[in-house]
Amino acid sequence: MAAQPPTTVRGGSAPQESGTGSTPPDRTTAGPRRLSPRAATWIQSGFLLLIAAIALVPLVAIFIGTFQDGNDVIRRGMTFDVDVSTLSLDNYVLLFTDSGPYFRWFANTLLLTVAQVAGTLLVSSFVAYGFAMYHFKGKTLSFIMVLLLITVPFEMLMLPLYVQVNDMGLADTYLIIVLPFLAAAVTIFFFRQYFLGIPKEILEAGRVDGVTEFGIFFRLVLPISKPAMAAMAILNGMLCWNNFLWPLLVLRTPEKFTLPIGLNTLLTPYGNNYELLIIGAFFSLIPILILFLAFQRFFIEGITAGAVKG
Amino acid sequence: MRQILYSKRLAPYLFILPFLVTLAVFWIVPIGRSFVMSFQEVLYGQATFIGTDNYERLWRDRVFWQALYNSMRYMILTIVLLVPIPMVLAAVVNSKLGNPRVKAFFKASLFVPALTSVVVAGIVFRLIFAESDSAMMNQVAEFFGFGPVRWLREDITGLVALLALALWRWSGVNTMYFLAGMQSIPTEYYEAASIDGASKFQQFLHITIPNLKPTIVYVVTISVYGGLAMFLESFMLYAGNSSPNNQGLTVIGYLYRKGIEENDLGFASAVGVVLLVIVMTINLTYLIASGTFKKEAA
Amino acid sequence: MTTQRTKMSALVAGLAVASLAACSGGGSGEAAPTQNSDGSTNLSMWTFADVHAAYYEEMADQWNDANPEQEIRLDVTVYPYEDMHNKLQLAVNSGEGLPDVVDIEVNKFASFVKGSTPPLVDLTEAAAPYADDVVQARLDLYSKDGKVYGFPTHVGAFVAFYNTELLEGAGIDYTTIETWDDFREAGAEYNAATDKAFGVASTGVNFVEPLITAQLGGEFFDAEGNLQVNSPEVVEALSMEQEMQDAGAISTIPGGSPDSEEAFGAINNGDYAAIVYPAWYTSRFVDYMPDLEGNVAIAPAPVIEGGAAQTIGGGGTGASVPVASPNRDLASDWLAFAKLSPEANVAVWEVLGFDPVNMAVWEDEAVTMNPDNKFNQYFQTNLFDVLNEVKGGIGHLDSFTDPNWPSVDNTFRTVTLNEIFENGVPAQDALDQTQSDLQNELGQ
Repeated sequence: MAAQPPTTVRGGSAPQESGTGSTPPDRTTAGPRRLSPRAATWIQSGFLLLIAAIALVPLVAIFIGTFQDGNDVIRRGMTFDVDVSTLSLDNYVLLFTDSGPYFRWFANTLLLTVAQVAGTLLVSSFVAYGFAMYHFKGKTLSFIMVLLLITVPFEMLMLPLYVQVNDMGLADTYLIIVLPFLAAAVTIFFFRQYFLGIPKEILEAGRVDGVTEFGIFFRLVLPISKPAMAAMAILNGMLCWNNFLWPLLVLRTPEKFTLPIGLNTLLTPYGNNYELLIIGAFFSLIPILILFLAFQRFFIEGITAGAVKG
Repeated sequence: MRQILYSKRLAPYLFILPFLVTLAVFWIVPIGRSFVMSFQEVLYGQATFIGTDNYERLWRDRVFWQALYNSMRYMILTIVLLVPIPMVLAAVVNSKLGNPRVKAFFKASLFVPALTSVVVAGIVFRLIFAESDSAMMNQVAEFFGFGPVRWLREDITGLVALLALALWRWSGVNTMYFLAGMQSIPTEYYEAASIDGASKFQQFLHITIPNLKPTIVYVVTISVYGGLAMFLESFMLYAGNSSPNNQGLTVIGYLYRKGIEENDLGFASAVGVVLLVIVMTINLTYLIASGTFKKEAA
Repeated sequence: MTTQRTKMSALVAGLAVASLAACSGGGSGEAAPTQNSDGSTNLSMWTFADVHAAYYEEMADQWNDANPEQEIRLDVTVYPYEDMHNKLQLAVNSGEGLPDVVDIEVNKFASFVKGSTPPLVDLTEAAAPYADDVVQARLDLYSKDGKVYGFPTHVGAFVAFYNTELLEGAGIDYTTIETWDDFREAGAEYNAATDKAFGVASTGVNFVEPLITAQLGGEFFDAEGNLQVNSPEVVEALSMEQEMQDAGAISTIPGGSPDSEEAFGAINNGDYAAIVYPAWYTSRFVDYMPDLEGNVAIAPAPVIEGGAAQTIGGGGTGASVPVASPNRDLASDWLAFAKLSPEANVAVWEVLGFDPVNMAVWEDEAVTMNPDNKFNQYFQTNLFDVLNEVKGGIGHLDSFTDPNWPSVDNTFRTVTLNEIFENGVPAQDALDQTQSDLQNELGQ
């Protein structure tokens, strides 16, 4: 069912041709030489594997880094030229015996991510439902605001917002990390698209049965929105797990730090904690990698969700 | 109570209320506040009105223009890289040719970097682009017969590192976008074109690209956003907000430096207001030109 | 008819919010002094260096031994350098979330004593018992309008560290280096003989520049506080360094300054032979460059012949007590003990390897000449011999205490020094540009 645009033409010299019988004569502009489908497949596979390998280099490097002496890595950089005899499990011992607040950061991030994802999904889908299912005065203007908010970097407002947070007495609380992002413009936009595809008859049937407008949303619409929920849970979960700047501004107590902030505190010449930095950075990837390997399809759908609809 | 719950007239307003509150409390009020503070000097909570002083200083500040230049340059180059390269990769993967397992592995490998936090990615790239001649990128440079390069110490090579980081993190995602876009193009278009004798390359130019327009619009939109909002990548790569000759300073970094590091909230507010105007101008122009508003707000 | 599910959803949402609120409630109890049931007082402290934390904990123990009726429980948090100062800035602005005691790096200090009501406690009284023995210039560094707002950790007198093994290999005797001219010639000779770098042209710290400027009798601000970073002395200082760079006597270093991880690696590797840096750099050698043990000699920093000062203090950390601290009196007393008392200053040397500000310690040979001391074991020469040699010539740069110094320092570290040492812009041009940029930034 997939359409068949031409495969890439590397360096303009290696035209490839489709192997399907139905395709009419190939007329690639790139050159007269023709390759058998088998050869083309080999070239394609080689090309894809090469790119994949390059993409994995940084991850392999940090994995190897977890077995190396932290100070040495920081001084000399990550290298292809690894001396196997210097590798050890010392950093792992350190991580599990003497990593200070590391696992606390881990737990904090987990809690915050779960709370924020749950809150954002609930609130944003709620709002999106209003935009998708009703006609009301001021809708166009409100929705233009949603679109604008998608395009304005939150960072540009962080300073006045920070001042305001202090006035509200909410500094150093998890609440204020979450609150501004519950009605998240991108998530609202996505849910709206999804709800637009839901047949209006469901609503009417609900009304006939005497369900409230909100009951219709919670009882009839949400249960059939699981795919959208999954996609947005993944998108928001990733953003939240990696959130840095706003928590950095707001949080003060080290016990409340999240992983990205905590890891950043290890990156200092006066700290003697480069061992923990490398292995800590690596371990922070593990939950999300496990989830990815388990739910790969949802991840890709979740991240690409915004663009899919044309 | 019952009436409210059943009212079809009131319900939509209640539904979008959380958004309106968020908009008011976390956007409108701060913007207003920013605007007011931009005409003040703020020190330990005491504000003094100083007219347009902050704006005048901003206009003359070379570092601001440099930060703006850096951000714009980064934004444009990320678009230049992150539209065509993923499009080509998507086309390769979308081809009927090939080994499905290789393709699955390719997709997963390319996608994993997007899952890596910028903090971790920044640390790794800082170490890969280290100055030492045994660092990875210098070994690569040596392999190709030049170097060692002092990557993060010089402007262009520092930019290369930043772009490499962006390319690494986002190629996978953008490839998936384009792949999804390509798969929604009806096969008949290509069949018809083939019958008319169009070459693969012509098909790509005249069918694939025009039909990918919504995807391209979307990718460009997020790249504009990402480019202008970029801060953490540079912050991690340079292990802080200071870089040689401010080569890694972005507009957000500048905002952070003025507001947080130098505690000049009035001046930083002026920066924020100017940035907001710039971003709104770019986005509105772009959204109107691409027809997004007409389509979505209808 | 509104259903179970709605209620459940509301409940879940409520719980999520409640749990967040609960998590956030725990942190900073303010207002009343924070006393424990056993009568001890909790003091929170922020610093940006791990080694400082170890030292303060030691001083808390000593204080508790000497003052059992006023025991303290010190809780030190180590943040990265920039983060800590930013956090402090934010906390000071809002007056909330401040620690009881905080380490403020000298180049940031001026931002915290801006205006007429600084957010820091006046420590003049707490300092009084020790003031006579302490190097006055270092107290001045953290004072404003005659009030002391911070206690120094060290003098940080500039000295020179020479790798004698490398120098001997090139036939150079470091003891003959007295002036910057000697330094340049020795460096050029070393460079010609070995093709390696001799000294360091830092782009990431602004240290040697104030030193030479002070030796030339110059300042970065005039008496009225007007910026003059292109004054003749500053230009001459930078031009001298530029000449040294051209002669091969100083070179840029990985990481931008000797005080970075990349540089530790390079110096440890023998890539640089002479480091002119504040005395506290001893600790960096001992902690991060173990391979050089026994090969490094400490000597007085090069001077200007007939110059105004022999050396000055460089870098430093002022420890302060925020006004908002509920325990400010106890915190001030403990801090004076922890930074200025003779006991403290012995610990400054023994734990940190810094040159203590209480000069009584400099004379105490049981301390300074202790053969078991790891710093004495590491270096060929004794730091205190060098310090006592330059003692009379320790000058001061008033610019360090100017409220606008942080901006000057920042611009030098990011732009000016890069322009000069990396891009080869002539010192005069680079400094003229810096002057006009900074004048705009500072509204002068």
